[in-house]
Amino acid sequence: MSLAGTGLELGRFLSYLSQRQEVIASNIANADTPGYKARDVAEPSDFSTALQAAVVEAPGLPSRNDGNSVNIDREARLLAENTIRFNLTTQILRSQLKDIRSAIDEGRAS
Amino acid sequence: MSLFNAISISASGMDAQRIRAELITENLANADTTRTPEGGPYQRKDAIFSSAPLQASFAQTLSEFTAGTPEGVTVSQIAVDNSEPERRYLPGHPDADPDGYVAFPKIDPASEMVDLMSASRSYQANVAAISSVKDMIARSIDLLR
Repeated sequence: MSLAGTGLELGRFLSYLSQRQEVIASNIANADTPGYKARDVAEPSDFSTALQAAVVEAPGLPSRNDGNSVNIDREARLLAENTIRFNLTTQILRSQLKDIRSAIDEGRAS
Repeated sequence: MSLFNAISISASGMDAQRIRAELITENLANADTTRTPEGGPYQRKDAIFSSAPLQASFAQTLSEFTAGTPEGVTVSQIAVDNSEPERRYLPGHPDADPDGYVAFPKIDPASEMVDLMSASRSYQANVAAISSVKDMIARSIDLLR
């Protein structure tokens, strides 16, 4: 772990999660919009390089009679899942920052 | 900022559902209204939703355009139900026609109530999304401590 690169990948993962949160919020807001198709963010295979993840139409979801394909239970699950992943990632990032602070203080303060 | 955008999107959903609930309560309140400024009985109203991008700066819009845009929701139209009114035989009524029939709005309280429940549940879903985003923002701020 180099000092300069600390948390870069975690940071990119956090950006991906907030982008996904935005898409989920959009799906929930449009749960009653005729013709709206549920969207999702394609998960990048690795976070070692900065890249903008693509927003795609969520595959395999049946449409209702009004052409809307939002499944509110699916969105609720994704919302909960996304929050948990975000919390976990910030916890890891915090502990990395704490390690660095400890190194700066020569291990005296925790 | 992505997370603040998510709050705006959920807020647009709350706004749209609130307008829908307002129209439903208006329909219920006017279920027996036989006189309107336009003449004739009250006509049922319904909110038509359409997805719409958020108001944003040009640069933001451009970057979202290239990456695919998460959209908010807006009430694009308030549709008026022009179906035939319900005719009830009330000869003494001041609005009765020569045959003694009065035109009443065609409003089904049961279907209006079901619509109202659906609007209220969708509103709650948007509130849940906002509180989850708020939690995420609080966690991000905690990184500074």
